[in-house]
Amino acid sequence: MSNDHDHDHDHGHGHKPPAPMVEEISDFEALEIAVRELAIEKGLFTAEDHRRFTEFAEHIGPTPAARMVAKAWLDPEYKKLCLTDAIKASFAVGVDWLNPTGFGTPSDYTDLRVLEDTPTMHHVVVCTLCSCYPRPILGFQPEWYRTPNYRRRLVRWPRQVLAEFGLTLPPEVEVRVEDSNQKCRFIVMPVRPAGTEGWTEDQLTEIVTRDCLIGVALPKPGMTTNIPLPVHKPAKPAHH
Amino acid sequence: MSQHDRTHHAKIATGKGDPQCFKGTAGPAKFKVGDRVRIKNLPDIFYTRCQVYTRGAIGEVAVVTHESPAPEDEAWGHVDQSEWFYIVRFKQKDLWPEYPANFANDTLQTEFSERWLESV
Repeated sequence: MSNDHDHDHDHGHGHKPPAPMVEEISDFEALEIAVRELAIEKGLFTAEDHRRFTEFAEHIGPTPAARMVAKAWLDPEYKKLCLTDAIKASFAVGVDWLNPTGFGTPSDYTDLRVLEDTPTMHHVVVCTLCSCYPRPILGFQPEWYRTPNYRRRLVRWPRQVLAEFGLTLPPEVEVRVEDSNQKCRFIVMPVRPAGTEGWTEDQLTEIVTRDCLIGVALPKPGMTTNIPLPVHKPAKPAHH
Repeated sequence: MSQHDRTHHAKIATGKGDPQCFKGTAGPAKFKVGDRVRIKNLPDIFYTRCQVYTRGAIGEVAVVTHESPAPEDEAWGHVDQSEWFYIVRFKQKDLWPEYPANFANDTLQTEFSERWLESV
């Protein structure tokens, strides 16, 4: 909108296009579409199979990983299991990594690691290669996780990128970036926030949102994925 | 006319998982937790998962993770030779010269197969 000053005369009667959208498609996304179309053409699977798998994967939701963290906050023994054998710990939240799709084959690599935050250490996960993500327990990646912007910048300027997500951490907190570039997959186990004393597992699960599990946000009482989002009035409303 | 069986991994991993299906195939691990290592700057052809920003940097082995064929081999269909994998921890200031001094404690971890590491 750097040209706004050229259009001041237009206020009130002109038609302003919406703010520019990021319409970036990475090479990997183009490659995925190309390979998918070839596979369908070749008869390896059908478009219907693909749709069904996508539906399955998108319905996993963040709940299993959130519940894992909530359970670990409440049960020190379970927490120990999460930190030593997260694949085994996943069974307790209903996720079998070795058969996650129900289609008979493992859909992804199966070495989950839980990164435990402390009051002086904060983890955040990225895959600089593409988009490695613990899908069986966390669902599909958010769009921004796959963008070259996030991938390139998080490893080099983590504090600046976290600040763009609204998370500013003091210097005494060590920021540890985990670049997930091989077969290990990662979730962050944040510190249980103050103000949640006496909460049930269900209540705690609600505040461990997807972004907390990636490490770009911290859990807070009252901040769940289900609360209505605040609506901000546009600074420059469009007139139609 | 590839002779490569594209369901090979799925078949050997079903019920066990990948990389668990390669357990016990790499021999003894060369490095242990706490070892200081330098990332080699090996040539790579067509495919690698060793990021350029880590090459030549010195870090510390944080986790000995699992055994698996290296992706540089898997990309060519060679899955007979496994290696140990390691999560290596770097000080951010050892990776990026301009990293701000007031955040000197910040770290980054990423994973390598054994061929990329040498003792310091």
